[in-house]
Amino acid sequence: MSDVTDKVLAVSKPYLGPAAEQFLARQCKLFLKIDSAALTAAHLKELSGCFELGGRAIMDPAKATELAKKIATL
Amino acid sequence: MRPTIKNKLVGGFTAVLFLMGVVAAIGVYSVLSLRTSALETARVGDRLNSISLEIQVHNLEAQRKIKSYLAEFKQLGADKARETYLDEAEFEIHEIVSLAKRGVRIAPTEEKRAKFQLISAAATSYASAVETVAQGVEKNAVGGATDIAAYEAAAGHLNETAEDGEMAGRDSSQSSQENIERVSKRSVPVVLGVSLLGLVIALVMSIVLSRAILLPVEHLKEVAENVSMGNLQISVRRFSDDEIGDLADSFARMVVAVRFFQMEAEASNAGTGE
Repeated sequence: MSDVTDKVLAVSKPYLGPAAEQFLARQCKLFLKIDSAALTAAHLKELSGCFELGGRAIMDPAKATELAKKIATL
Repeated sequence: MRPTIKNKLVGGFTAVLFLMGVVAAIGVYSVLSLRTSALETARVGDRLNSISLEIQVHNLEAQRKIKSYLAEFKQLGADKARETYLDEAEFEIHEIVSLAKRGVRIAPTEEKRAKFQLISAAATSYASAVETVAQGVEKNAVGGATDIAAYEAAAGHLNETAEDGEMAGRDSSQSSQENIERVSKRSVPVVLGVSLLGLVIALVMSIVLSRAILLPVEHLKEVAENVSMGNLQISVRRFSDDEIGDLADSFARMVVAVRFFQMEAEASNAGTGE
């Protein structure tokens, strides 16, 4: 697992709890077409958009936007 | 400081205790000041009454001695009569003046002060009338008719002012009793009002505290019931920045995770179905 993956998980945990790891894997696979362990800083901007979009389906939209912004600034 | 439930409870109860203390202090202060005021009024009233009575006693004694002086002058001789009656009468008049001055000092109203000032002035006039009569008597063995008339007028005036003073003293004593009754009647609503205020403040603080704790707990209970019945669309609100707010956050995170796992399971089932 890359450093970036760890950082994204650390930021996501307070929002997604036990689903953070699986949610990240899902977003990486569906939209970035990569494994979550191979995540690099270059993916963060795109990943942030994916998190906002995917997050809105399961959480409060404001929270999803907040999480996306945090990922974008990692 | 973070507004945790512990801090809210400690702060709330401290505030209630402090307010109750303030209310109790106000109550005690009110009762004590009313009592002091009542006692002071009673003390002044009683003192003025006793001064006016003493003035009357000295007045009667002075006039009795002057009468005896005039009656027994010839029989006793000038020196003996002066020593036996006149000096004594002068002492009584001096006492009247000093008592009247004391009355002026402690009288509670301008009207009563004026009455005691009149006694003092009348006693001084009476003293000079006595002296004039005595000089006439010592010179001619009988007092001159004009001097006697002036003396009687001065004595009559002193009697009148002393009676006025006595009435003022009695009135002062009576009004001090009325004042005590008034003050004690007034202290009852003061104490009741202060106690009621304390009760209202304690009640309001209790309501505010219980609402601050109960409202978010009731919301969380409702959310938990909905989630347990399978309704995952319910939103979890964070009411306050305290332990219950933290609990709401954890609960919201859990609901998000359950929603995600449920969606994953549905997607997986759909994939298997295909």
